[in-house]
Amino acid sequence: MRTTERSARRRPGVVLGATLMSFALVASACSSDSGTASNGTSGSTSGTSGGTGASTAETTPSTDAPTPVSGGTLRYGLEADVDGLNPTSSALSAPGLMMANTVFDTLAAIDKNGKAVPYLAESFTPSADFKSWTVKVRPNIKFHDGAPLNSAAIAKAFEAQRSAPLVGLAVKPFYPETNAVTIVDDLTVTFNLLEANVYFPAALATQLGYVPSPLWLDAAAKDPTLNQKPVGTGPFKFDSRTQDNVTRFVRNPDWWGGKVYLDAVEFYPVTDAANMLDLLNNGELDAMQTTDQTAIKELKTSDKVTSVLDDTGEESFVMINSQKAPFDDIRVRKALTYATPKKNYLDLIGLGISREADQEFIPESPFYNPAVKQEADEPDKAVALVKEYCAEKPENCTGGKVNMEFQWSGPSVVQTRIADMFNQAWSVAFNVKFDELNQQDHIQQTALGQYNVNTWRQFGADDPWADNVWLLCRTVSGISLNWPRYCSPERDTLLLSAQAEQDPAKRVELYKKVVQNIHDAYTYVFLTHTIWANSFVNNVHGACDHKSPEGVELKCASNGRTWFDTVWMDK
Amino acid sequence: MAISLLFAVSALTFGAMNVLGDPLFNILGPIAGDTGNPKSVKLIEKAKKDYNLDKPIPVRYGIWITGFIRGDMGVQFSTDGQPPVTELIKERVPRTVMLLILGQMIAIMLSVPWALFSASRADKLVDRMSTATTFMLVALPSFALAVILKYLLAIKLGWFPLTYRARDPLRSRLFQMVLPAMVIGLPAAAIYQRLLRTDLITTLQEDFILMARSKGVSKSRVLFRHALRPSLFSFVTVVGLTTGALIGGSIVVETVFRIPGIGSTLVEAVLRHDFPVVLAIVMIVATAFVLINLIIDIIYSIIDPRVRR
Repeated sequence: MRTTERSARRRPGVVLGATLMSFALVASACSSDSGTASNGTSGSTSGTSGGTGASTAETTPSTDAPTPVSGGTLRYGLEADVDGLNPTSSALSAPGLMMANTVFDTLAAIDKNGKAVPYLAESFTPSADFKSWTVKVRPNIKFHDGAPLNSAAIAKAFEAQRSAPLVGLAVKPFYPETNAVTIVDDLTVTFNLLEANVYFPAALATQLGYVPSPLWLDAAAKDPTLNQKPVGTGPFKFDSRTQDNVTRFVRNPDWWGGKVYLDAVEFYPVTDAANMLDLLNNGELDAMQTTDQTAIKELKTSDKVTSVLDDTGEESFVMINSQKAPFDDIRVRKALTYATPKKNYLDLIGLGISREADQEFIPESPFYNPAVKQEADEPDKAVALVKEYCAEKPENCTGGKVNMEFQWSGPSVVQTRIADMFNQAWSVAFNVKFDELNQQDHIQQTALGQYNVNTWRQFGADDPWADNVWLLCRTVSGISLNWPRYCSPERDTLLLSAQAEQDPAKRVELYKKVVQNIHDAYTYVFLTHTIWANSFVNNVHGACDHKSPEGVELKCASNGRTWFDTVWMDK
Repeated sequence: MAISLLFAVSALTFGAMNVLGDPLFNILGPIAGDTGNPKSVKLIEKAKKDYNLDKPIPVRYGIWITGFIRGDMGVQFSTDGQPPVTELIKERVPRTVMLLILGQMIAIMLSVPWALFSASRADKLVDRMSTATTFMLVALPSFALAVILKYLLAIKLGWFPLTYRARDPLRSRLFQMVLPAMVIGLPAAAIYQRLLRTDLITTLQEDFILMARSKGVSKSRVLFRHALRPSLFSFVTVVGLTTGALIGGSIVVETVFRIPGIGSTLVEAVLRHDFPVVLAIVMIVATAFVLINLIIDIIYSIIDPRVRR
């Protein structure tokens, strides 16, 4: 068995699986991957602001076959399919981002230290106040349809994403209404930001950084079926797609980044992890991606596969809507936190695979605040707080307990198990009403604030500033990406100061205060750091050999996604 | 009669779909609920106009049914663009049809010899064992049978692939369909066997059979040439009726074996409140059901020309 455990961050599938993903997609425009920043110097010509990669000790899964050979089709199992593959309009979840990684390149990439480095871009140059960033792309790169990659293509992609009704929600809060992106010359654009951001290039390693063909964007605007047939500059070209069954990409022989080994990559959505594992074991898949704890347990001990395990991404947590009674009262939020059976969750749901989470950073992150521990398993405290609350507001209580609704995305055996377990513990102080919704409705109701309490998965951007979209006051609105709808001006100041802070030590201190602030609001009950497994059968190599054009070693996996240009297979 | 039936089905489904949820959420996502935001309200108004959602239900039904008759099934309600339903249906129907044909072939090819075998040994030990087997197959839920067959024949014995791959060559895809077809074909075979066996036993007690036997016609010839044809009436009826049930069974099978057919698409569309897709599939299934029963009526007259009179 060769199991490579990594630390990057991840998000477990226990909770919403694809549910969140969909909205993570929304957010991924600004959040998902950007490096965990820290030692930030902003780069002028080639580097960027930096990431700290905190916990991202990555290792290459297989190094035993030194000479890559061309050929072969990699059959990759994913947890879900996606509705569309247009990065400017489709909210791409982890499976969507995996597919997108074959056909699109990002302007930036995250290196092994969590720092953003140029990829499609040749350089990033900040203004003196870090309120604008000038990005120059490499010359002579063409899209799969022959169109040239230039500043107009970048500007078009950005504006398309910003104006998209859903995806744009995560982009708009950070840019001015007009002139958010300006063309300098044929290969250069300037991104103008609302606030100083030393770490902005990390955003260009996320969905926001994918550059699709402008010709294809125009065509897809007229014919929505083309959203299923993406055109980018990536190492693979779109070949065919049968939704819910297989999506195939074939080698791009003219890829600007160099030689691509695989003939093709095929993605198979298999929603049941046990089923996907059977397919892998039976030789019907060559690789799989999962957050399922039981499957990961088996993959870790299998001698047939090499696994890239990563828990540096999202966290799983109970999320509380702070604007809706009874949880608009912090005593009730605290009571729910105290009553949450975290130990049972870790044992019965985490199965000893996922690590306990106290905050949005893993312990290896420089931003981790050791002083903050997630309270739970203290029912007596919960009862006392509820007693006090119900005495004041009997209209929200029955029988001395607070009435509440718990929402989750289903049908899901694990989620139902979680609901039963929580209900058993919460019932000391709460009358819990269950509300199982399909994924789409669950996301919509959460976005619209039509929930009390739910289970969710989030955070874990490569650079923590990209998680600002979930936390700032400005993202509390009718459709809120600040899902708990909690506005803290103090937190805003800390977050914006941290993204503008060039001194790594000072930045770390700012984020530690953010962690404390988030804890003190009692809007999240952190449970686990989600673990993602990307497992490859033993004749698949090179999954972690991804490098930038300048030869910088890049992060192997980020929030569940890996790259394909260096992957090759033994015959 | 058939046309009135189809109209009734379409009207009922259309009405039900429009009562069950707001399609705007499928088109706009949470923006559909963001009614306090003037920008969202503009998008909501535009979507209502674009998809005729600002019109009364009877008018919308009229627009939809007119389009359907012309072969235009509308567009999918998705936040990621609204591609035409026709494209989706054209892609998915052939897979389900292939699955059902294979399933029926397995059911018929298995049940007829099985029934002949049992009827010729009525009430003997083998017949009783056969009866027990049929009961087991009928009683077993299709998802359980799918899991059992998948485990035994694909995982343990490796005779069949575990999954369906839509872009493989036709021959491979047909092979990949065999196991799923068995899942829907075996319970159907058990039903057909029970019915045909009973009819055969009754027929075998008729005078003309006794006459044939007394003339020295062999037992097997009597079974195949004299008893089988007059016993097929109920069998053919049930084959026709069961086709509708098999379409239902295909929902489970398509999900378990990852076959992107109309069964799995229907489930997905219902969960997503994608009304145009649900309507299109319901209409296709209803039309197929009507057509199959018309064909069965024709087959009756072939089996027994007296029916024509």
